[in-house]
Amino acid sequence: MLSLLEIQTAFAGALLYDGAADLGDWLRDDGIAATARIDIYRNNMQASLSAALGEMFPVIRRLVGDGFFAYATHEFVSQHPPVSPCVADYGAGFADFLSAFAPCCELPYLPDVARFERLLHDAARCADAPPLDASALAGIDASDAGRLVFTLQPSHGYLCSPWPVTAIWRVNQDGRDGAVDLQGGGVLVEVCRPDGIVEFRELPPADFAFRAALAGAATFADALVAASDRDAAFDVAAALAELLADRAITGVRLME
Amino acid sequence: MLDTSAVHAGALVGIGLRGPHLVELPRRRPALDFVEVHAENYMDFGPAFDRLMDVRRDYPVSLHGVGLSLGSADGLDARHLARFRDLIARIDPILVSEHLAWCIAGGVYLNDLLPLPYTEEALDLVARNVARAQEALGRRLLVENPSRYLNFAHSPIPEAEFLGALVVRTGCAILCDINNIVVSAHNVGEDASAYLEKLPRAAVQEIHLAGHSVQSIDGRTILIDDHGSPVSDEVWRLYARARQTFGAVPSLIERDRNLPPLDELLAEADRARVDHALAA
Repeated sequence: MLSLLEIQTAFAGALLYDGAADLGDWLRDDGIAATARIDIYRNNMQASLSAALGEMFPVIRRLVGDGFFAYATHEFVSQHPPVSPCVADYGAGFADFLSAFAPCCELPYLPDVARFERLLHDAARCADAPPLDASALAGIDASDAGRLVFTLQPSHGYLCSPWPVTAIWRVNQDGRDGAVDLQGGGVLVEVCRPDGIVEFRELPPADFAFRAALAGAATFADALVAASDRDAAFDVAAALAELLADRAITGVRLME
Repeated sequence: MLDTSAVHAGALVGIGLRGPHLVELPRRRPALDFVEVHAENYMDFGPAFDRLMDVRRDYPVSLHGVGLSLGSADGLDARHLARFRDLIARIDPILVSEHLAWCIAGGVYLNDLLPLPYTEEALDLVARNVARAQEALGRRLLVENPSRYLNFAHSPIPEAEFLGALVVRTGCAILCDINNIVVSAHNVGEDASAYLEKLPRAAVQEIHLAGHSVQSIDGRTILIDDHGSPVSDEVWRLYARARQTFGAVPSLIERDRNLPPLDELLAEADRARVDHALAA
């Protein structure tokens, strides 16, 4: 007789990989085939996760249509099932999945639109952290400044895309329509949640490089280099003051 | 005309609170004794959690888990238990409940409440998991009877008895989901009323009421526990029996799909309240 662990392993496999051949012996038919009964659980799992992804990626769903979205999410669920019981955590890898998903290779902007939607989703749900008081920086020795590593608000997200992602997103909101020039240029976009409302805005290249580097836990020195590479006249003091004014910095430490 | 304010002293009646109604509820403050939320939807402690804290000022909150996976042969996820404990600490819920089911295998979360064979092995395992969860969460858990779509060939312990043994071994309580009894009884060929009578009466501390849909498979009907429609007549009828059997325990209207305007849920809650008063 199978152990409970073996049963659950086989059951999970049947749900994820559309197979039920091994399960027949330990399920009762009762007038409805055991495989059809397994299908009910699989449908529940697939439909609920597809619906959850549809809420996280409404623009992707609209761009590809409900039928293709159901197909793509079914494949995604089978290949990358959730690992967290909190469904809001699910789907972080959906953009990468789309970039490798051959059936949508004719829509090369899709993965970046998904990345953008994911930033919006994460910004809408995370907890705010208390902002760092500017006085916390006052005691830091100037010679240590380059080794500072800042923590930004969890809602802050950064996307650099060769596609006009924000324009695509805008014309695909409910009740809206329109055309986007796909060759119209990319975006350097910041997502954040000032005053509790999720917002996004495009940033000048140097500011984007600076903030995105800090958000990625680069040192202050490395973030400054990244910004100065884009704009030799980058005003780092003003950029730092603006981050503090935005209440965007929540912590600071010295790189070991 | 019934004066519902006079019968309010009976069982507590609440609704399952879902995202779209989170802001509306504290603004309107309708007469409800409590609300219940899915614990996993608030574990980010972000804006949704903040809105739940607004609700918490006006209503007691019950936390209903869907992801602890009390039936997992792998054991429980320590990180998830810790998040659940943090949520309990901040919400101070009146009830904490989970399901007699599993949803995690090999680290994969399957997002459905999957069935267990009711064997001595499963009883040992679930009892161990429930005991660990109760210890980690610092709360007595209510364990809910699941909706079922299949029977295992080897499942010698009737589900109600399995729950009874769980109560004896762990001191947990029972959340009796009337819709799940109706759905499972139909799908696996059991008697819903008899099931109700076999549950350990004193341990039943909450009742769930919900709707289901009907599908046809291989020429046979299957009831799907989709929480997508109003409470069915059959469920209301069994609810009347449950009240006689279990007394004035908190009753909850659940709806997850096709979420109607708040007023429709409140009307169903009123019906449960009035039914309760008539039964008293």
